[in-house]
This record gives sequence, structure tokens and C-alpha cells, in this order.
Amino acid sequence: MSRFLLLLCFLVTAAASVSAADQQRANPRTMKFPALNFQIPQAERVVLQCGMPVYLLRDTELPIINMTAMVRVGSVYEPAAKTGLSGITGSVMRSGGAGGMAPEQMDDELEFMASSVESGIGSDMGTVSLTTLKKNFSRTLQVFSNVLLRPDFSAKRLEIARKQTIEGLRRQNDDPKEIAGREINRAIYAGHPLGNIATFASVGTITRQDLVDFHHRYYRLDNMILAVSGDFDRAALLKELNGVFKAEKYPAPLVLPPVPQPAEQLQGAVIYGKKDVNQTVIRMGHLGLTKDSPDIYAIRLLDYILGGSFTSRLTMEIRTNQGLAYSVGSRFDIGRRFTGSFIAETETKAESTGKAITLMNSIISAMTKEPVTDDELTAAREYLINSFMFGFTSPVSIVTQRARLEYYGYPDGYLEQYRDNIAKVTKADILNTARKYLHPDAFQIVVIGDAAKFDLPLESLGTVRELDLKLNIPRP
Amino acid sequence: MKIKLFITIAVMLLSTSLHAATLEEKVVEHTMKNGMKLLVMERHTSPTVAAWIRFRVGSVDERSDERGIAHLLEHMLFKGTTTLGTRDFAAEKPILDAIEVTAQALTAEKAKREKSDSAKRAELEKQLVKLEADASKYVVKDEFFELYSKNGGTGYNAFTSRDGTTYLINLPSNKLELWAAIESDRLQNAVLREFYTERSVVMEERRRSYDADPESKLWETFVAASFLAHSYGQPTIGWMSDIENLTRTKAEQFFHNYYAPNNAIVAIVGDINTKETIALIERYFGAIKPGKEVPPVTTQEPKQAGERRIELVAEAEPTIMMGFHKPGIATPDDYVFDVISMILGSGRTSRFHKKLVIEAQLATEIGAFDAPGDRYPNLFVISANPRAPHTVKEVEDAIQVELDLLKTTPVAERDLQRILNKIEYEEARRMGTNGGLARNLTEYEATTGSWRYMTENRGKIAKVTPADIQRVAATYFTRENRTVGFISKKGGDK
Repeated sequence: MSRFLLLLCFLVTAAASVSAADQQRANPRTMKFPALNFQIPQAERVVLQCGMPVYLLRDTELPIINMTAMVRVGSVYEPAAKTGLSGITGSVMRSGGAGGMAPEQMDDELEFMASSVESGIGSDMGTVSLTTLKKNFSRTLQVFSNVLLRPDFSAKRLEIARKQTIEGLRRQNDDPKEIAGREINRAIYAGHPLGNIATFASVGTITRQDLVDFHHRYYRLDNMILAVSGDFDRAALLKELNGVFKAEKYPAPLVLPPVPQPAEQLQGAVIYGKKDVNQTVIRMGHLGLTKDSPDIYAIRLLDYILGGSFTSRLTMEIRTNQGLAYSVGSRFDIGRRFTGSFIAETETKAESTGKAITLMNSIISAMTKEPVTDDELTAAREYLINSFMFGFTSPVSIVTQRARLEYYGYPDGYLEQYRDNIAKVTKADILNTARKYLHPDAFQIVVIGDAAKFDLPLESLGTVRELDLKLNIPRP
Repeated sequence: MKIKLFITIAVMLLSTSLHAATLEEKVVEHTMKNGMKLLVMERHTSPTVAAWIRFRVGSVDERSDERGIAHLLEHMLFKGTTTLGTRDFAAEKPILDAIEVTAQALTAEKAKREKSDSAKRAELEKQLVKLEADASKYVVKDEFFELYSKNGGTGYNAFTSRDGTTYLINLPSNKLELWAAIESDRLQNAVLREFYTERSVVMEERRRSYDADPESKLWETFVAASFLAHSYGQPTIGWMSDIENLTRTKAEQFFHNYYAPNNAIVAIVGDINTKETIALIERYFGAIKPGKEVPPVTTQEPKQAGERRIELVAEAEPTIMMGFHKPGIATPDDYVFDVISMILGSGRTSRFHKKLVIEAQLATEIGAFDAPGDRYPNLFVISANPRAPHTVKEVEDAIQVELDLLKTTPVAERDLQRILNKIEYEEARRMGTNGGLARNLTEYEATTGSWRYMTENRGKIAKVTPADIQRVAATYFTRENRTVGFISKKGGDK
């Protein structure tokens, strides 16, 4: 009897403990979470004796120091006949020796310390960056400052960079995705420096003196911002930076050459390139907006709902429901200095090319006709607000972000007010911005593939212009 | 609860190996009763956490009629469970069963190729479309994603390799319980709904990643030609006809066979409390029963007895790949290959860059790496783009000159020291992100048997001598052991 009772008790306890364990496992749909303390991390802004602003964030988790100089330069300033000049200048600043140190010696010394100094020039920013173990900082900083301010531009290294660029041009039509990416950009920015691409001819005309002049004009202490993070001692670092970046007298203040805004194209077009492949690459889009527009917050939400997430309308319909593509989406690239772009993209088997283009067009058009649903707005808003903290997960990203905001002239409090500005956006705001910024009739549509296998004649989508994908390669 | 804190005796191999010791101190290892392995590390840099689960099963473990299933299953495990991703599973289930019967009949009919009955196919296709439409009424589309996303989750993704399958997410650190709830549910109650649409998505992925990209197509062909017997040769995504013939039933079998806690490695890195995290995971995963272990692949690649040359004719400029069979990760010779790969292919001071890119200017890009997996004997691969007018043959010969030099001339001490300095730096740098740490912890635990490979690696490499390098180069860099793949431009250079 007593043994029976004992057994019964055991069973009851066991049953009770199971249900207790069940209660401890919450339902993901209704789960509640403890509060989270998140403060937007700050970086300190100091000004060196030479006048250069520096953003600092000390963090001793790793014995590493990172530094980036952002320079007001870019491919938008290169002459069209010398397209490619800025890219080659940025690259040869590092590869061509600096401050009297030969290229081979610089490579050997940096790599023996496991330090890295790299340089590059993009469309509207030049960067020189440094990464090093703390113990090798001073020596690496010397090399960094020489690359930034005193590159030697070895003629031999310029020739290597030129030949590499030319080899890149030879290979520019190998991958259909690369062709499509280049051509949609060229179509959207036709007639603007942002739409220029290097050619065998333009790269051939670039001289060493061009590099020297281009560098000399823009790489000045009064034309750059520095961002430093990692395991440094503040006072010692500032002393070193002031020692390396000594104040300099310039004959005149730098005036950046005026670059116009790209012109809106009202007429849509179909741009076709033939490749012998079983899948078609599709890109469609037009100009967008700049960061100075008050509509950028509504655009962020619109982006998430239309084509910027796994549950966006484009992905849901074209991938999840219809299985027409692996990768599909759209994005407003918000311009910092120049009007940005809107591009929608996918790849689908040749036989469903027309179907995919038509579907994308109608999904994008629908954004301009009806307001988004409450659920869509909530999902987008919650994602953007709750994931905001992921912009601040490392000292490098925090300090670089602060420097970028100053570089591009974002208003004070941009980050601090970002989540509130997202939270304020209404369904009506999203509909209005969709109507203002989405114009499917004006889409430049790039299609790379084999038209013989398409399910729809391209002519039915608009006037077709065929690309010449044969390269007229000059004989060396 | 067994929490082991591993603090090894700090063997100071080099004057500043403090950070290797730090990783040893920071990672807490815990094995649950059901065999699930937890690796937990606190990092309080930001209020975020990375959560990775790696299963010790990848495409290498597929039989020939399952090729592509590990990867397709990875896609399918985003589709929900009996309670998530559905409005009413009881009503949905019979339709899913009918879909499977119809889809299997259709797949079998299509497999007859030219002998198949087109009327029957059309009828089955019509039925399938109707059933899928019926089933979709019950589906809550991508609910896992939606739940994570609303809660601020980023980088929700998964990847399949030869060696394993990994599921990952970054979350605000107060929301780790959401991960535990969803992932433990997924492991026990996954429902592979929308299977046949997703199979089409994977076919598009294959076209995008391999068929239409010449360099990747060469890569796939080159790896397949390198392995006649071992399943490392088969592409993880599967050949197109493999994918066409995969069924939900096969995926479910694979899932039930291998997705068990004893085949899982979990890494949680970020702003969390170790003890609470282990308790949380015990609460959600502790009751899951262990399954059978993934059996090792017993097929051994026969010793290659002669050079293999693979040509791909494509609308693209020439590329060359050269591979040599070698032992897998963490074997004695593999550490020597680590050194060789850095001497030849890492950075601007590497021999390939100096000789082929800067001096002879035969190539624009050249690199060296191990592939296609690590758990089993693999390949040492060199890949390069010749610079016109130089040919594949010229680049191939120049590469061989460098390989032969390793056999005859001892590597300088300074070159070896540079490599150790680089590894010391990498040891520090990789501590800098939650996701990077979680990746390395799960990867090395799975492929080498212990995440401690990360901290012991430098000591092993420090012991590699110039004579070891000569011996390994002479043993493996032979013509018989070599496979060369290259792209020839369609129609020549016009």
C-alpha cells in the first residue's frame, strides 16, 4: 500500500513537473521580454592643431587600433576622357611607395608587423585606412601618413595598375550579373559622371602626372576627417597625430569643382544584352532621392515592405509563392551628395523572363495605388526600430559612422532622432512617397540573357536597345 | 548542471600570446545529457547576441540519390512547425499529404523523360497547382522570419557546406529566449510545407550560382573531376537532375535521421549571462531525445595516378585552377600546408603575388586555399586569372616553378616569423565580433573535434620547420597528384 502511494506521488510530481516545464516555455507569438538598456554610443570629436577633425573612441577589448581618413575626393571629379583616374590614383597611392619608401619595402615592413594600410577612391569619398596591433601603431602611422600625404607613385607600379585595370575591362562581360549591374547604373546616370565607366582608351591616356596632380589637389589636411578606435591612450595618441599632421599653409582654400545633379529621364527603355545562358538577369530602375529629403524615413519603410526583406512583397510573390527566383528585391539607395537610385532586381530562368518582369512591374505599381496594410507598416516599423542597435556593435563602426555623418553633412541629432522619425511615418506618408518616387513607366530595364528562349518578346515591354557585348580590345 | 571552465596552463609560445589565453578563459563549454554541445561566451561590447546552431551533417553525407538534399532541407527548415507558419495544422496536414502523393507521381512521370506521358503529366501538374493553392490558405508565410525581424533580429540565415549545416541569427540580447523557443520547436516539429515551390527556388539558385557564372561552373566541374569516389566531389547544391528528383519524403527522412541534439553544436556569443543562458537552453532543448550519430563517410578517394585536365569552354576570359590532394584539417601535414598557403598566396609579400603579379605580370589575381571541405582529405587549390596576352599555360608553368622551389630551397626564418606574426594578429582580430566568434567556435568544434583548434593552431604552426615544408612540397606537389581546370574562351579571342 505504502509503496503504491509512493509510486502515485512520484507520478503526480512527474506530471506536475512536466506541465511546469511547459509553462516555462513561452509561445514565440506572444512572448514578452525584459527591458533592454540601449544608449546610442558616442564618439569624442577633437580638432588637431592643423584643424583636422578627429573622432575618437577608445576600447581596450582587443590590442588593436583602427584608423580611417575620409577625404573629400571622388570619381565625380575626374575628367570623362580619363575615367578610371581616381580608382588608379587611390590604388597606386598604396602600391607605388610613399615618403621615399620603395613599394617592396613598404609591403615587407607592414606585413612583417601584420599591419595593414590600404587606400581607395570611390564615387564621392577617398579613404586611407590603417589596422594594426597596438604595439606597432607608431610605425604603421608613419606609413599611413606617407601614403595619405606623400605617395611616390612609382611609374612601374602605375603601369601594373593600368594593365590590371585593362585586364578587368577585358573581363567585364564574363558574368551576366556584373554586366547588368554596370548597365543599369549607366542607364540611370546617363550623361552624369556617376554614369561614366572606364574604357581601354580612357585608361590608356592616364599619366603619372595626372595621378600626382589629382592627389595634390584633394589630399590636403583641410579636406579630410579622421576616425580612430581601439586600444589607445588618448593623450599619447593626440600627441602622435599632432606630430604627424603638422599644420600646413595652403595658398588658397580648396574649392571643390561643381558637379551638377543627374538629370531625370522621363522615358522608359529596355536595354538588352545577349549571353548564352539559361537564366536571365533583370535590373530595372530610375533616379531616387537624397538624404536631404524629409521623405527618407517613409522611404526606409517603403523599402522594407516592397523589396527589402525576406517577407517583402517582391520576395513573397516572386520567390516564395511562385518559385521564379532565388534572389529578388528592390532598394532605394539614398544619395548623400547626388540623387540616389531605385533599383529592383532578380534573376529567373530564360523561359519566365517576361513573367518575372511583368510581375515586378505590377507589384511596384501597386505600391502607388493602395496604402500598405497595418500589418506591413507595423512589421517594417518594428524591424527598423528594434534592429537599430546593430549599427553600433563595434568601436570601428561607431566612430566611422560619426565621421561619415559629418563628412556628408547630416543634421545634428540625426541618429538620436532616427527611431522617432521612423515611428511617425503613416500609411498615407508611404503612399505619397511611393507616388512621388516610383515611376514604372520611366524604368530603365536591363535584361541580360538569351532572348530566343524568353516567354515574351522584349519589344512588348518598350523600345529595345541592344548592347554590343563584344569588346573592341586594342592590340597591345 | 556541469559547467566546465577551461583554463589551460598558459603555454607562452611567443611573448604576447595573452589573447589565446583570453579565449580559453572566456569560452564556457557545456554538454547536455542529450549530447547537444553548447559553447557560450560573454562579450559586453553592445547589447546584442549571436546565436548559431551547427549540425554535423552536410552534403558529404548524402547518398547518390540524395544529392542536394542537405541544402534543400536547409531551405525547408525556414517554413515553420506544427504551430508556427500555420493557421490550423490539423486542417493543413491532409492537404500536405495529398500534395506529396501527387508530386511524387509527377516526379516519377517526369523522370521517364522522353518516354513520359504528357497528358498524365499535365493532369498531375494541374492537381498539384490546385492542392498547393488549397494548402496556402493555411500558411502563415515565413513566420520565423517575421517573428525574428519584428524583434530586431538581423542576419537570419543558414548555410550548407560539404561538412555541415548552420543556422544563425543576431538578436538584441534580451530576446535570446525567442531564439530558444523557435529553434527548439524547429528541431522537434518542423513541417516542410511549400516544398515543391522551394525546390524551384533552389533550381534558380543553381542557375544563378553555377550555370550562368563561368568561373563557378568551372569550379564545380574541377572539384567533381578531382574526386572520382569520395562524396566531396559532388556539388552541395546538387546537379540539376538531382534537384528535380528530390521529394519532401526524402527531405523528411534526412531530417529525422540526422537533426538530433547529439549532432548539434550551439554557440552563443554576446551580452548574456553564461549561467542563465545555459539554463535557458536546458529548459528548451533538454527534453529532446538524442538520435543516431551521423555515420562517417567510409569511401576513400583512390590515390590519383596521373594528371587530370578539365576544360570549360565559355563566353569568358581564361581562368586557371590547380589542385593537389592532401590530408584533411588538423592532421600533421595540414599545418605544413597552412604555412605553404600563406607563403605562396597571402598578401602582397606572398611569392605568387611578387613573382606572377608584380615581376612577370602574368596574372592579375592569384590565391591559394583548401577546399572543398575540411573533415576529410581535401585539395590544396591555386586559382589565378591570366593577364592577356599571357596564357593559361604560361601561368601554370610559373605556378609550378614556385611549387618546385619549395621542394629544393628551404624557406627563410623571416618568412616563417611573418606568418606567426600574422596569426597572432588574426587571433586578436577575430575576437572582435559576436558572429565571427560564433562561426569559428561552431566550425572548428565540428571539423576538428574541438574549438580549441583556434588557440592551439599557432603553437602547431610554430613547430613547422623549413625541412617539413620541403618534404610536404615534394610529397604532394607532383604531376600525378595534380588536377588542372581552365576556361577557354568560346570562339577564341575575337
